[in-house]
Amino acid sequence: MRAWLTTVDHKRVGILYGVTAFVFLLVGGIEALLIRLQLAGPGQRVVSAETYNALFTMHGTTMVFLAIMPLNAMFFNYMVPLMLGARDVAFPRLNALSYWIFLFGGLFLNASFLVGAPPDVGWFGYANLTTKQFTPGASVDFWLLSLQILGVSSMIAAINFIVTIVNMRAPGMTLMRMPVFVWMTLVVQFLIVLAFPPITVGLIFLMFDRFFGTRFYDVTAGADLHLWQHLFWIFGHPEVYILILPAFGIVSEVLPTFARKPLFGAPVVIYSGVLIGFFGFGVWSHHMFAAGMGPVADAAFSIGTMLIAIPTGVKIFNWLATLWGGTIRTTTALHFAAGLVGLFTIGGLSGVMHASPPVDLQQTDSYFVVAHLHYVLIGGSLFGLFAGAYYWWPKMTGRLLDERLGKVHFWVLAVGFNLAFFPQHYLGAIGMPRRIYTYADGAGWTFWNFVSTVGAFGIALGVLLFMVNAWRSLRAGAPAPADPWDGRTLEWRTSSPPPPHDFDTIPPVLGRDSFWREKYGRGRGAGGAGASGGPSAGAPRVPDDHIHLPAPSSWPLLTAAGLGILAIGALTHLAVVAVGALVTVVCMFKFALEHHRTAAHEHQVGNLGVDHRKVALWVFLGSECFFFGTLIATYLAYKGRSVVGPEPHQILNIPLTTLSTFDLLMSSLLMVLALAAVQRGDRLQARLWLFGTALFGLIFLGFQVYEFTHFVLEGLTLQQNLFGSTFFVLTGFHGGHVTVGVVWLLSLWVLDLRGKLGVADAVKVEVAGLYWHFVDVVWIAIFTLIYLIP
Amino acid sequence: MSTVIPRSDFARDILHVYAVITWASVGIALVVFVALGWILVRFRDRPGAPLPAQTRGHTLLELAWTVAPALVLLVIAIPTIQVIFRTQAVPSPQALEVTVLARQWWWEFRYPALGIGTANELHLPVGRPVVLKLEGPDVIHSFWVPQLGGKRDVVPGRLNRLTFTAETPGEYWGQCAEFCGASHANMGLRVVVDAPEAFARWVSAQRATPAEPAGLAAEGKALYARSACVGCHTIRGVSAGVLGPDLTTFGSRGTLAAGMFPNTVENVAAWLRNPPALKPGVKMPALGLTDAQARALATYLVSLK
Amino acid sequence: MTDQPQAHAEHASIGTYVKVAVILTVVTALEFSVIYIRALTPILVPLLLVLSAGKFALVVLFFMHLRYDSRALTILFAGPLLLASGIAIALMTLTGAFLLFGR
Repeated sequence: MRAWLTTVDHKRVGILYGVTAFVFLLVGGIEALLIRLQLAGPGQRVVSAETYNALFTMHGTTMVFLAIMPLNAMFFNYMVPLMLGARDVAFPRLNALSYWIFLFGGLFLNASFLVGAPPDVGWFGYANLTTKQFTPGASVDFWLLSLQILGVSSMIAAINFIVTIVNMRAPGMTLMRMPVFVWMTLVVQFLIVLAFPPITVGLIFLMFDRFFGTRFYDVTAGADLHLWQHLFWIFGHPEVYILILPAFGIVSEVLPTFARKPLFGAPVVIYSGVLIGFFGFGVWSHHMFAAGMGPVADAAFSIGTMLIAIPTGVKIFNWLATLWGGTIRTTTALHFAAGLVGLFTIGGLSGVMHASPPVDLQQTDSYFVVAHLHYVLIGGSLFGLFAGAYYWWPKMTGRLLDERLGKVHFWVLAVGFNLAFFPQHYLGAIGMPRRIYTYADGAGWTFWNFVSTVGAFGIALGVLLFMVNAWRSLRAGAPAPADPWDGRTLEWRTSSPPPPHDFDTIPPVLGRDSFWREKYGRGRGAGGAGASGGPSAGAPRVPDDHIHLPAPSSWPLLTAAGLGILAIGALTHLAVVAVGALVTVVCMFKFALEHHRTAAHEHQVGNLGVDHRKVALWVFLGSECFFFGTLIATYLAYKGRSVVGPEPHQILNIPLTTLSTFDLLMSSLLMVLALAAVQRGDRLQARLWLFGTALFGLIFLGFQVYEFTHFVLEGLTLQQNLFGSTFFVLTGFHGGHVTVGVVWLLSLWVLDLRGKLGVADAVKVEVAGLYWHFVDVVWIAIFTLIYLIP
Repeated sequence: MSTVIPRSDFARDILHVYAVITWASVGIALVVFVALGWILVRFRDRPGAPLPAQTRGHTLLELAWTVAPALVLLVIAIPTIQVIFRTQAVPSPQALEVTVLARQWWWEFRYPALGIGTANELHLPVGRPVVLKLEGPDVIHSFWVPQLGGKRDVVPGRLNRLTFTAETPGEYWGQCAEFCGASHANMGLRVVVDAPEAFARWVSAQRATPAEPAGLAAEGKALYARSACVGCHTIRGVSAGVLGPDLTTFGSRGTLAAGMFPNTVENVAAWLRNPPALKPGVKMPALGLTDAQARALATYLVSLK
Repeated sequence: MTDQPQAHAEHASIGTYVKVAVILTVVTALEFSVIYIRALTPILVPLLLVLSAGKFALVVLFFMHLRYDSRALTILFAGPLLLASGIAIALMTLTGAFLLFGR
């Protein structure tokens, strides 16, 4: 048991994600059944209006963040290293940390039920319903705090997987030879890393409005309520691709395996996934067609949304072509994968209908969109996940699931699902709005609501059948060989389940579908476009490597606990916040220093020829571009809209700020000097310049403290007007970043004082330096855009 | 509340695009499903089957099934863009302007040019362009009367509007379509599209001061005038409260409580006895009325035509 | 894990760093002065944007070593930077920020 609490093994972390997420899936499912019971007939009293509103809010939030995303994470964790021929992820302890933070975030969200304040504002919580004025209780606080916690978990995991995929591939595994599932995972991680900052900012605004009285969503102060919607959907649209792309990846593995031929047009499937991810950032306002953005915005987002349908359609056709001409073994996994192809087509087509604003104006916020989203999320994501479950269960557990029961599960689920959701298209078309706890008898909606409820219980039965299958398999299922399906990718090349070190020797990589090549050679049939591009004769020589297994650690669990305490404190008492913060910070230091100067951890250079930690930091800086970009955009969007003064030109002190800007710029010079000193082993200069950089940072903070104090005395507070709110939050968070940097640098300085910072540790100083320079660079942008431009 | 039985130019424009997309979607879905079904049968594994040809791809096919959907989308995009701009064009100067104030959980309608106002039941003249100016004093709501067109959010701090011409007299149902709190499900509205003479009559009735009631209704009025009701409601000549719906012509409406119940004396009396029990979260409190008092008040209110 | 040496085709010298620091100081001083020169008001905004973009680039290319490091890192950073900028501009357009900028 203790081993599970301190594990850093990607396979075990994957199982932890899977089991936890499955429990939350059941919780979300029960919430759904209660919703359907309430709506089975008109005027029912199964639950009160308030309870119903909490149920649909929690159902959505739970399914998106606590079920589908972590179920996807289960497969990322377990399979990606195996498919890459790696032995673990780039940062095993961070991996465990992500899991524990997810667990605490999920528990925190559901704890709201225990105190009678479950979130009840819908899973996308539109302001200003979520402001303290209209929802004074703790429900929204639970919601926004949980989402922030879960966001941290996802971000850390995303950075981890990006570094793993770009930097830890086995020799010979070029990017284009990676399995499509790994490619889809890579795209998803980038989506997470870039899409979460905007919603983090939106939630920060909401949190500050509710806790500190800022004005971000205060209409009387001149706020624009579209801001929340934009920030939410800039995240929310990429989020739906985060939910579906892994399922697309799974289908892209399952179909070729059971058709016994390669994925048709694999490079095209890969490129279309990348395109979907990229363009997914440009279509968010198609969720806002009814919000009144004006015809130009409507038209622009409509066209963008329709364009995205093209790469999605291309995948469907490629999957059909994969099956064509194959020798199809109709296993349960194949049933679910084929089911996705059909059901996602329906969901995608209803999505195309939503892409047209005139039509969407009838369909949005009605049961039509409820039908659409469930077709893509259940027919798409969940069916994909079940396909993955049946496919990879033998690998993960060493046992086989019962195929006959599996097919019954499939059919019960498929029938139940279509019964539950197909009629909802019709209900929406005849005018039934969404999120209503009841409806009138005379509306004409009764019959199909009843049918839908029956279908929902069919879904429940299907899930139950899976649980029975799983239970029986674990207890007495037939043992599974290493390669039960005659697979194509590297995970089938090791035992079921794999040993702790995954592979006895790192496998050779002969091309795409490398394991298939090993077994069958290049095989019969046309070369065609999209060949793997590697030499078919002779595998690359695999170097003799020494197996280093990451050691277990308690710091991930403890650090996550600290964050949990912090969140509880936010709802109870400042002292608890302080305790939580203290625990978190202490644990972070312990975490960071646990393997300082451990020989095996010094050298972490990968495929790109760059240290893992450096790659990780650059990825993080990409996300920070989004974080600060959103804050700056909000400042500029709200500029000039304050209803009362003071205004920027009355209060900003440009000469003084020019001085502090100069100070920060010079600190960057000191930082590069520090790094150069460490790299050549000059300890005296290293200490001098490290301290110097931190000192200049402190001076900058001094300027900022002076400025803030002066502003408050002049009447500009956080709460005074939009200028105060946006200015203090933007520059305050920047100042927070500077503070973190100062602490980081002083820690390195202390390490050096104790003689524990040598040449081999230069990469740690380099990484700190990159962070520091970036904070400087953000200030360059802020100085110009906020201070200088009138 | 059907979206496919249009009764305005806006709703018809939408339906036209809807039809194009629906047929295109059905076509594509058929292709995919037939192909999928046929493939799964035709290429099923048979005992002793050899390894199939390891086809990797086909550039021409990829091009074909990239271009074909793009063309279908073009067919959808063109009427889409046209309708977007046509239905959001600047309204004609002859349009009747109605200000819609959406509150938790009822609708207020004001006709600035006509100098009248009412609640929850919107009367419109047939065949004349109408501009609904959507304003929100509290949270975001959404005005949706499916047969008269698509929905538009009512966003506090912004001025959204909806423009259309109702084409057929009749009664049409609508409902708030943006989650707005506890009784979002109970925020319906009724639109009555009148022939010109009927509309003119309705307008006059809105302008007139209600006649003196007699009998039980008179008792009700007396009760009304000395109760807390006057703090929230307006009845021309009696009270001037603005926190709740205007009741001057309450009796002429078909429903009460924003479309929740038919407007009968029994239903009104039940409502008056305990509004929060019937409409969760409603701001109107239970006033501690006896059954007799509730009946009297209800009789009065229903008499206000 | 692949064992490849850290890519260091070139390395900036201390001299280069100091030169960059001097340029940054000069440009900052320029930015500060320019806002007081009436004649430049019509082109003030583009001028300031160009100057600060220059500073941004200098720090990223030299102090953050992107000029000398693996191309992959440049892509890893430039991609999100451009995407974030695009989204920020779109967000500002949609909320009407540019309508007020003329003031």
